[in-house]
Amino acid sequence: MNETETVKETELEEGRYVYCIVNSADELSLGNIGIENAKVYTIPYKDIAVVVHACQSQPYQSKDTNKVTEWIFSHNDVIDKATKHFGTVLPFSFDAIIKGNDAAIKDWLSKGYEKLKQELERLRDKAEYTVQIFCDQDKLMRKILDEDPALKELKEKIGKMPERAAYLLHRKFELKVKDAYNKLRAKLAEEFALNIKEHVEEMKIEGKVSHLPEKYKDKKLVVAFSCLVRKDNVKSLGRVLGKIRTQEGYVIRFTGPWAPFSFVRLEEI
Amino acid sequence: MEPSRRECDINDVLDKLLNKGLVLNADLIISVAGIPLLGVNLKAAVAGIETMLEYGMMEAWDKSTREWYEKEIAGKVGIPLTDGEEVILKTLGAIRSNHGIINTWKPGIWYLTNHRLFLWRKEPAETIFEVPLNKIEGIIVRKETHFKEERDELYLQFDCDEVARIHVSSVTEFKKAIEEALTTFLFGKGKSKRG
Repeated sequence: MNETETVKETELEEGRYVYCIVNSADELSLGNIGIENAKVYTIPYKDIAVVVHACQSQPYQSKDTNKVTEWIFSHNDVIDKATKHFGTVLPFSFDAIIKGNDAAIKDWLSKGYEKLKQELERLRDKAEYTVQIFCDQDKLMRKILDEDPALKELKEKIGKMPERAAYLLHRKFELKVKDAYNKLRAKLAEEFALNIKEHVEEMKIEGKVSHLPEKYKDKKLVVAFSCLVRKDNVKSLGRVLGKIRTQEGYVIRFTGPWAPFSFVRLEEI
Repeated sequence: MEPSRRECDINDVLDKLLNKGLVLNADLIISVAGIPLLGVNLKAAVAGIETMLEYGMMEAWDKSTREWYEKEIAGKVGIPLTDGEEVILKTLGAIRSNHGIINTWKPGIWYLTNHRLFLWRKEPAETIFEVPLNKIEGIIVRKETHFKEERDELYLQFDCDEVARIHVSSVTEFKKAIEEALTTFLFGKGKSKRG
């Protein structure tokens, strides 16, 4: 009667919340470490496995920010633990749920096996690091003005005008500074990228950084990179960043290791 | 320099887990939970928007009002609506135009429809500015000084980092209406389907 029981159990659960894909041929339980203490386990196919918990096939959604934040931290926690346990993982975005029971997941895994295995191999012994380079606002402004005498002149002219009359000129100045600032940033980003390049396998410039810690509030973000780094290259990357930091006015935030969130690629699974 | 995870905060984790990582497609479920605090991307903040829209302007323009408007008014003033396009909201306003060194406010009537947002000038008739809803990437309200008076203005980000600076009399309602139109446009009308 064991069989009917299993069937019954899987019938109740219509979906599987997916955390990541790992190198493992075993059916393992990782304990109640998932979202809302869900029991996290692996579903293997050949020598790879997907790390999941059983859930209803509907997304986790809430208007309570604290709750969602907690979910997201749990998700990240599972990925960290899986990384410790299995090595390389292919991390999934929050709230990725596959409809169906374990058998359906296994089927899905078997269909994507070649690509998933290839990706696991490609990312073996590599991890993601984030590099954010900041500069003091005032120093950046001084740099801009030093490089463009016409702007400096305009600034001085505005300073001598009555406030109302200076309104349009001030706007013009702001636009020009913004322009110059973007150009300078692009130039600096390129320089930094050239220095970092040889120590990383892949790198991406992050277009937007949504929020930064309080500590960096008075600084301007010059550029942010996500880097895929081979384990034995982390130290040399750190050394290069140390050199950039000792240059005038730069502050660097160097975080990691992360699972390769920015570098995992699978077009059709 | 040594990398560290110790100093990482919620935003680092959010960035990785919401904007990156593998997503599923086809008949699998994909979804984003609403995180209002992100506020970067409208598409990621659906649940948050829904709450904000509970007292939106949509109520004032129910279906019958919209139909009446299209038949009776829109035709006469000649605003260029396409087939199936319905006006959700109209309001007096302006857009900031920067051409070279000439910066001016161009006034007109803002029309928000189920397809797009545009600024219409009646005389001489011209669409001064328009953006399809699917090109809108974000909206923020910012305090700006307008002849020494502080007032709220709307910054609309669209089409890969283009920005339009918009003025209307009630910024908050206008923003809400755009967000609701966007939500409906992106995610369908599931909620009001039964009528």
